[in-house]
Amino acid sequence: MTDQALIARALTGDPSAERALYDAHVDRVYRLTYRIAGDSDRAEDYTQETFIRAFDRLGSFRGESAFSTWLGAIAMSVALNGARKTRRLRLRELPIEEAAPLGHMPAIAEPDLRTRLHQAIDDLPDGYRTVFVMHDVEGYTHEEIGRALGVQTGTSKAQLFRARARLRERLADFAKESP
Amino acid sequence: MIEHEDEQLDPELARLASDYREPPETPREPMWQRIELARRSRRTPSPWRRYSAPIGIAALIALGVGIGRWSAPHVPPPLPAGPRIATGPKSPGGTGASSGPSNIAYRVAATQYLGQSEAFLTLFRASVERGQSDALASATARQLLATNRLLLDSPAGDDPRMHALLEDLELVLAQIAQLSPSHGSDELHYITDDMARGAVLTRIRTAVPAGPATLSQGAL
Repeated sequence: MTDQALIARALTGDPSAERALYDAHVDRVYRLTYRIAGDSDRAEDYTQETFIRAFDRLGSFRGESAFSTWLGAIAMSVALNGARKTRRLRLRELPIEEAAPLGHMPAIAEPDLRTRLHQAIDDLPDGYRTVFVMHDVEGYTHEEIGRALGVQTGTSKAQLFRARARLRERLADFAKESP
Repeated sequence: MIEHEDEQLDPELARLASDYREPPETPREPMWQRIELARRSRRTPSPWRRYSAPIGIAALIALGVGIGRWSAPHVPPPLPAGPRIATGPKSPGGTGASSGPSNIAYRVAATQYLGQSEAFLTLFRASVERGQSDALASATARQLLATNRLLLDSPAGDDPRMHALLEDLELVLAQIAQLSPSHGSDELHYITDDMARGAVLTRIRTAVPAGPATLSQGAL
């Protein structure tokens, strides 16, 4: 059964349709919120709140985008609001000229690079990190990210570009040290 | 404009990034149970509401009658007999429905209520910013919520701007009223975010004349 049919049934008060929508989308929502939150407790809280809000507002879903995109937008709103509590938003954006020149990373030993990379992702400004995680880790398209975050597609691309540049900059020393 | 589309992440970095904060298996059933519980509790009306409406109605009527008597012009007793003499033109709008004593009383009640709500939400927001939460906040929000509902259904709610403000205020108060004793600070921040999004405090301040003395005088 399609999302649209399930939504129509859920709007008539069919609880099994709500459950089916939940089953179809919960993994994607949980994965995304976990990547943003970084721990199970908060990821569960954000996922629950996402579905509670979605079911409460199901009547306002007009089908202009995919249900998963609409749900993703709610999830990101919930997760980013939650992130403000645990960490102040770091919206400082480096001028693009400050980014290190691009180049391929040499083949270098793990797990040091993995640890350094993950730490560098943690340290990205929230806007960069969100787009990087959504695009490069979770595989969202720029169009989906734009809808979810309420930004232009070009903004999403620019944020991703800067996030990657920032990561390369952070890992530049590591690359030099490697044989 | 800088073109960003051709930029690709190095394959080695992409591989290492793929397990960044690798999520565990989705805890489907526990989350679903909590979602159902939360939604069920939202649908079930609080028993407090059963009593709040009559109490609120009584308080509002008493307030309205009191203000109406206080604000009504003194009318001399009618002459016992004889022809009546015109005493001059009536003031424009003086007999209109919107300016009758009872409507004025509702407007005064609405203004006073908004003043109380503004004070409450200002304190609430400050306590959230300090990382504190007051156990009395939910109880106070419930009381304000009852009055809010009454005002929405009263002539004070006929004004479209006032109606929209009261509806937005109702949403914020309902969230505070529904805070569980074990609420997390996330919930508090959601509420203050919603307040900011709807510019609730700003709109209240715009609707309420400054200063306690003007609360009633402005409306009268």
